[in-house]
Amino acid sequence: MPSDPPFRHAIEVAGLRKVYTSTRGTFRRTKVQNVAVDGIDLAIAPGELFGLLGPNGAGKTTTVKILTTLLLPTSGTAKVLGYDVVAATNAVRRRIGFVFGGERGLYWRLSGYDNLRYFADLYLVPPQVSKQRIPALLEMLGLAGREHDKVEGYSRGMKQRLHLARGLLNDPDVLFLDEPTIGLDPVGARDLRVLVRGLADRGKTIFLTTHYMFEADAICDRVAVIKKGQIVAQGTPGSIKQLVGDIGVVEFEVDAITPEGLERLRTLPGVSSVVTAELELAQRVTIHCAQPPEVMTQLGKVLDGVVLHRVSAREATLEDAYVELIGETS
Amino acid sequence: MSSLVRAAWRSFEISTRLRVVSPWAYLNWLVFPVIFASLGLFMLTSSGFTRVAYGVLGGGIIGFWSVAYLDGGNSIQEERWSGTLEQIFAVPTPLFVIVIGKIVGSLLVGLLAFLPTVALAYFGFHASLPALDPLRFAVSLAVLSFSFFIIAVALTPLFAVWRWAFTVLNGLEMAVYGLCGFMFPVTLLPGWLQPVSYLLSPTWATRALYASASPTAGADVTGWWLITFGLSAVYLALSVFLYRFVEAKARVSGELALA
Repeated sequence: MPSDPPFRHAIEVAGLRKVYTSTRGTFRRTKVQNVAVDGIDLAIAPGELFGLLGPNGAGKTTTVKILTTLLLPTSGTAKVLGYDVVAATNAVRRRIGFVFGGERGLYWRLSGYDNLRYFADLYLVPPQVSKQRIPALLEMLGLAGREHDKVEGYSRGMKQRLHLARGLLNDPDVLFLDEPTIGLDPVGARDLRVLVRGLADRGKTIFLTTHYMFEADAICDRVAVIKKGQIVAQGTPGSIKQLVGDIGVVEFEVDAITPEGLERLRTLPGVSSVVTAELELAQRVTIHCAQPPEVMTQLGKVLDGVVLHRVSAREATLEDAYVELIGETS
Repeated sequence: MSSLVRAAWRSFEISTRLRVVSPWAYLNWLVFPVIFASLGLFMLTSSGFTRVAYGVLGGGIIGFWSVAYLDGGNSIQEERWSGTLEQIFAVPTPLFVIVIGKIVGSLLVGLLAFLPTVALAYFGFHASLPALDPLRFAVSLAVLSFSFFIIAVALTPLFAVWRWAFTVLNGLEMAVYGLCGFMFPVTLLPGWLQPVSYLLSPTWATRALYASASPTAGADVTGWWLITFGLSAVYLALSVFLYRFVEAKARVSGELALA
């Protein structure tokens, strides 16, 4: 068996580009090109927990699918553990694991154990190894005792943990996690984050995509922000926050705010973005600005007649930096 | 056991277990063959009971073909719906190994189609095959199974890249009933259509099976077996290119996922 190629980075991506071609129209069909990934560069060290952040449709999943050999890039190169994902597909597949978020991707009519045993064989794990590894993974992921139940009876959190067990069956050096906590309850998501951080601490390289900023902030060593297929920032969560270091945040809650009111807020001096979020019985308004105290004094004037609750000023978080970088306003 | 053989075996085991709990499978090997066999037997009975083998075996062959040919492809479609198609595509085990396991499972279930149809013929219509040559019949059935196996293995990957493949191949499934002479001799087809039949390996295997069930003078059963193997070898060679094409196409277009 040939020896593994030398590598400095567990994952190395250069000028990666992916263009999908689809058709539009029923009778007069025209081809449409959609650039999903537009020339990205990444270098991820062995043992690093790297987060790729971005909104829906930014190119996160396409990037993961190229790196896990499910898609071919249109141009550029991508290497995992020194192996080219196009030229050495099988070598890559043997050394990686991947987990896609959501409940699908499992055989619901089979037990969790049968799912794992099947994939262990498809990953060519020797039976004497899988006989020990599967119970160990079930134990580690809190599924022991339920392994012979059909997956259709599992909670969403259990299914996600089963996904993670499947991703670890071949003891991969690199693990790709595409929005693994999506749809999980807060406790389940936290438990999964602890598990993922633990895997990284044990030396596995982890490539995580998420649009939960607190998740990336809590567990990632480094993150990159992707927007419309391009990397717009890359570094540690701290360094990303510093990119918007001179930005502060003013937040308040209102029963309802009109589009005109939001527009008036946007015209205040030093305001770079205004974002609203729907709460159960109110709206939360988040203002990114250079001078929070000044903006706070102006609120009463520009929102005359609107009752403001919980007005506060704080430092920017990773989520605030992300919003600045992505430029999402509402 | 080598790791690839083990992977194929597990694929066989899992797909068979999933088939056991799927009502669709029972329709294919139990219900539809009985309907076809009933029709065939009614017609043959009313026409003086000639060519009784077509009535006794025709429904079974149709059921066998349906399960062998469509279940493999259908299981790929189900993998897509359950989100597991990407998972099995991105494992170190080649796709054709997984498909082989699935198709072997389909073949074994498909063979069950002969049980209700032969029982129906015997108990319902008092039809039997007294002149059946057991050895030749067994070999012909094995050759027919082989021809179905090769076609199913060759065409199943199309389901992975084209979501509409099921509709198209479902239509072809029924065309094959007539083209390959499952329930009546190919010689009854229009002359211009018969060359198409002769390019299909099940035509020759089916002809050998019927000749073994009710031996007729001048039947070159061995020659028909060899033609079946020859055509199957051609299909197999073409399938190598098809698998490469599917792998490349799926990775370019991202067709494996639902969205």
